[in-house]
Amino acid sequence: MGMPVTVNVVDAAAEAGALDRVFEEFSMLDRTFSPFLQTSAVSLINRAELRPEDAGELVNQVIDLCGQYERATNGYFSAWIAGRFDPSGLVKGWAIDRACTILDGYGYSDFFVDAGGDVQTRGRNADGGPWRVGVRHPVEREKVACVVLANGLAVATSGTYEKGEHILDPHTGQSAHSLVSFTVVGPDILQADVFATAAFAMGVPGVEFVAAASGYEGFAIDPQMRTWSTPGFRALCEFPSRL
Amino acid sequence: MKRAVFVTGATAVGLAWLLTYKITPHSLGVAGALPPSPSSSDNPSASPSPSPTPAGVSGTFTGSDFPNRFGDVVVRLVISDGRITDVQAVQLPNDRQRSAYISEVAGPMLRSEVLQAQSAHIDVVTGATYTSQSYAQSVESALQQAHMG
Repeated sequence: MGMPVTVNVVDAAAEAGALDRVFEEFSMLDRTFSPFLQTSAVSLINRAELRPEDAGELVNQVIDLCGQYERATNGYFSAWIAGRFDPSGLVKGWAIDRACTILDGYGYSDFFVDAGGDVQTRGRNADGGPWRVGVRHPVEREKVACVVLANGLAVATSGTYEKGEHILDPHTGQSAHSLVSFTVVGPDILQADVFATAAFAMGVPGVEFVAAASGYEGFAIDPQMRTWSTPGFRALCEFPSRL
Repeated sequence: MKRAVFVTGATAVGLAWLLTYKITPHSLGVAGALPPSPSSSDNPSASPSPSPTPAGVSGTFTGSDFPNRFGDVVVRLVISDGRITDVQAVQLPNDRQRSAYISEVAGPMLRSEVLQAQSAHIDVVTGATYTSQSYAQSVESALQQAHMG
């Protein structure tokens, strides 16, 4: 599965080297964490050829984060399914966050980093307004379900239309079916991304779960195109089309 | 050329194979090669975007065929006076029932995403689609044919 990564820096002083560093970072993290790459640390751990404690600082940081988020989501997010370690669901948001930190280090204030449809924004867009993040409509052609006005916020969406039925409920090992799309908006892409994955697996109760997290809002769509959102979500959004 | 696009703040697209077996980060002239939206040039804080597009390029350009797990994707770009006016999925995977479903959903949505990249109304879309990678590769090759990539 490929994952398009888009970096958009508005700042006039943006230099090519900064973007090179961002894409190098994604490459390095892929080499370390890809479950499909035989030589990645994750693959070595799964083949018992590498002990996690010997896998280096980055891997252990991810293992710790996975544990924290597994607890925070009551087990609905888990990097360990059927005995295999697959932190992909966390590493994507984490990688976006690291990419943003690189751009912060260059002093840029207005940009976004998008990896596979999960986005962290900073500052404002080229028009001087909030970044306008369309939430892909799960069914209707040519439409987005709504537009999030992301003033420096992160927006992450989990959905069955993304990569097939790829989100498993860790409690059952089965695909989660009750929703087709779950979007989480909040300050941090790592948490937004993990919460979107976990809340999708929870189904409609996931909306309550997200609402309980300070600063985070959620928006769910079910197969009948019914929608649920947290109390503050609609204030962040424009709805260009009726669902 | 593409670096200049990066420097001045237009969208740079690279492909990171974050979840697969190989990674080929590279610049990709999908949105990056697009002309700036008219509104962005009005803003003093926005960088003046270059025009990597030869002025007046018009025509229909068909990208190469790029495979993904469900089949192949070919993209045709319709370019009028240096601006992408339409993106057509010439061939989307439909070899299996599941693939057909994904094609039906993903094709048009990806199409709208590429078109929206040059719209002032939406900066980026959340919610990825499976065929994003091969679609983007085909868009790139179509842009190269138009000497816009």
